[in-house]
Amino acid sequence: MKIVIAGSGEVGSHLAKLLSNEEQDITLVDEDAAKLSILDTNYNLMTVVGNPTSFAALREAGAGRCDLFIAVTPYESNNIVACSIAKNLGAQLTVARIDSYDYMKPDNFRHVRNMGVDKVIYPEYLAAKEIITSLEYSWMRSRFELHDGQIILAGIVLPQNAPIAGMQLKEFAFSNHHFHVSAIRRNHETIIPRGDDRLMPGDILYFTTTREHARDLMELTGQKERKIRRVMIMGGGKLTMRLTNLAEGKFKFKILESDLDECHRLSRRCPGVEIINGDARDVDTLIDSGITDMDAFITLTPSSESNILTCLTARELVDAKTIAEVENIQFIDQAEALDIGLVINKKLLASSAIFQLLLDADSSTSKCLALADAEVAELEVRPGSKITHAPVKDLRLSRDMTLAGLIRDGQGMLITGNTRIQAGDLVLVFSLNGALRQVERLFN
Amino acid sequence: MKQIARSPLFNFPMLAKVVGMLLMIESVFLVLPFVAALVYKEADALPVGITMGGTFLTGLVLARRIKPLHSRLSKRDGFLLTSLVWVTFSLFGMLPFIFSETTPCSVTDAFFEAMSGFTTTGASTLGSLPGMSHSLLLWRAVMQWIGGLGIILFTLAVLPMLNTSGGMQMFNAEMTGITHDKIRPRISQTAKSLWAIYMVLTAVLALLLWAGPMSFFDAVCTAFGTLSTGGYTSGISGMQAMQHTYIKVVMTVFMFLGGVNFALLFRFLTGQPRQLMRNDVFRIYVAFVLVMWVSFSVAGFFAEGYRGLEALTLDPLFQVVAISTSTGISLLPVAGWGGFTLMLTILMMFFGGCAGSTSGGAKIDRLVYLVKNTGNELYRCIYPNVVLPVQVGGRVASPQLVGKVIAFLCIYVIVVLVGASILTIMDVPVTDAIFSCFSCISNTGFGTEITGLGGSYDMLPGAAKWVLSFIMLTGRLEIFSVLVLLMPAFWSRS
Repeated sequence: MKIVIAGSGEVGSHLAKLLSNEEQDITLVDEDAAKLSILDTNYNLMTVVGNPTSFAALREAGAGRCDLFIAVTPYESNNIVACSIAKNLGAQLTVARIDSYDYMKPDNFRHVRNMGVDKVIYPEYLAAKEIITSLEYSWMRSRFELHDGQIILAGIVLPQNAPIAGMQLKEFAFSNHHFHVSAIRRNHETIIPRGDDRLMPGDILYFTTTREHARDLMELTGQKERKIRRVMIMGGGKLTMRLTNLAEGKFKFKILESDLDECHRLSRRCPGVEIINGDARDVDTLIDSGITDMDAFITLTPSSESNILTCLTARELVDAKTIAEVENIQFIDQAEALDIGLVINKKLLASSAIFQLLLDADSSTSKCLALADAEVAELEVRPGSKITHAPVKDLRLSRDMTLAGLIRDGQGMLITGNTRIQAGDLVLVFSLNGALRQVERLFN
Repeated sequence: MKQIARSPLFNFPMLAKVVGMLLMIESVFLVLPFVAALVYKEADALPVGITMGGTFLTGLVLARRIKPLHSRLSKRDGFLLTSLVWVTFSLFGMLPFIFSETTPCSVTDAFFEAMSGFTTTGASTLGSLPGMSHSLLLWRAVMQWIGGLGIILFTLAVLPMLNTSGGMQMFNAEMTGITHDKIRPRISQTAKSLWAIYMVLTAVLALLLWAGPMSFFDAVCTAFGTLSTGGYTSGISGMQAMQHTYIKVVMTVFMFLGGVNFALLFRFLTGQPRQLMRNDVFRIYVAFVLVMWVSFSVAGFFAEGYRGLEALTLDPLFQVVAISTSTGISLLPVAGWGGFTLMLTILMMFFGGCAGSTSGGAKIDRLVYLVKNTGNELYRCIYPNVVLPVQVGGRVASPQLVGKVIAFLCIYVIVVLVGASILTIMDVPVTDAIFSCFSCISNTGFGTEITGLGGSYDMLPGAAKWVLSFIMLTGRLEIFSVLVLLMPAFWSRS
């Protein structure tokens, strides 16, 4: 697939690397020649130096012949203009990153579409949605829904007192037919478990299940339902505003912001939200603001370090769910290791949303989630492919992969050794890095 | 984040594995001379066959038996691998010459011959030997043909294995030129497109030559040697055929094409024909050749005993193109024309053809940078605070890039001078020493017959041939890729 990316900022370059590794044809357009030359020499892609909103540069990059045009420069107006030019030159699908909800509203989006922008990506919106899901299902680490929730993938930390802690996977599977442990994340490593692997306390278990059984997971893993009502947010930026507006009274928010002018602005923009002028990095301020009554604590300041450290401080004061925004990609692993409930990174969210768009266009394969060293993909079974030849247990599948579940005729179901996969099924596959190619061969 | 154990500086198992795979590719190319030997029922079928089998087996063992812990190739690995590949190719490529039944030779001569082939220098220590078998002549031509566009570029086109950042490193190290324009987003596509152009041009040339007064065998060998701007000829019969006007015209055209940036040729042939004429470097290349043509014609006119229309028009053009594209076929008795033509020859060898072509030399691109920068420096003497960027092709070049180009040219000359100094220790006359070094670093391959010493490289002492082989490799990989291996910092952690 031919893809042109305008803007080599963090999202642009992250996407370019990601897609280039997926063997797509990537052309990157940016004005910063120095930045491009580094990418050009080290990655398998082509670069064009030029203004992303100029006809000349976009023509040179082949925007007229591309299947997907992605505009992710820092300015939304530039992105929209770039998309408009690319669309008029003949790009198949255009995607622009925007910075305000205004362009996304259904009424307004019609006009944006008329300008030649097919899809918009609004990272703050994605982040806000992610935070809300996490607050609603507070006992899960992560949760993904496939096909309108026909199959649910849940990442859950196994506590010490869980009924299934210490159990061998084959014992677990014997008594629980409705769940499939697809992957285990232990000590920064992802394991595709086999029958004799044990479920250890502290592991993050990735369960695949169908919608009706999702709630049973809570009891099974010894997690407690915890209704989250009171939420404290540190930092009053755009994301905070989007979050409080999107949550629409589901939660009771309290915002801590150190800048007074910002506080006044927030009070106008976020009606019904309590705003406190103070620095959350100060423990006394935290206590005075009532941190001890909170069910969740979210840090959304521009400084990743402050966000992580303040979350840690808050955990000492109160047993609440913590969420931190971490924009430095290399800090994410560290933050996760410190057991911060959820780490939000707008760039990764934006790039995975764009990635998803791309996969929707190419419907045979779609990757829904990337763990650090494993991939989860939804693959469509082609008629006559190897995987349909025998029941799963007789297929001698590689140890680096597992088939988690499938969707047949719009209905989600789990896969056992006796399942025979049919052409047309959508199969959810977990595979360790590098094994996905092998897996794809089975399906074609 | 998983802690990465302090890894060794070089991923030697992976390097060996990659070299193994490339050797298997070389053995596939060895099939050509083997077939030739069988067709002509020559005694060299055995040595070529053994080399072919041996190369394949070595490659197979390396590629299959070695199991690297990981396949990452660092920057260092990339540089080392590039040079390593070229040296190993020459080491295996020399075997047929050593074991040859008809024209056996020493290891030194054979290595020189192979390195000269792969780097498209075309300097020969064996060329004067009559009776070289068809299979060896073909093998020399094939070596040049592979080396012309690049061993690694070929691999990138056929094996997906190197489509990683390590492979990118090697692509950058092997491709000639200051910056490397990709014509397609993925490196394997770029490599495929370039090789496609190269193969088509070679095939067209071979057919054109065959249609003229050349045998099929000579046509194929000459086509390989011409487009790769190598300059090995296919023996006596090939040399004789080159006296025909038709052959001269055809070869001049294709040598010239071999000196043009292949990415530009690709665009020219795929619907962007105007790009070629608009290209600064290409225009200067054309102008450079024209000016030299006139100079040579005039020099020929004043030379004694040299008359005739063709001798004063076509022959000098052929000669000028042959020199400046670093093909290095000598048609005219330039040696007798005096010092001026000799100096022009050196100048043409120095700057060669366009970057991204199969030609050698420091490339016209760098000449353009040098001239523009010199102009700016002089202007700056008058107006010290003027801001004047170096502009090439409508693009402003960064000062670092200009600095790198100037540094390249200086090091280029220094390598020649150091090489020549070493040759003079071995009692090679000064002019010949400098000339041979220049000829080798620019991959032209003119021998000392030009300077009047007479004979070709077989006159030189053995050690000198090793020095020149090294210089040829340095020139082909454009200096930095090879000289970086001589840095202590390359081999140790700093």
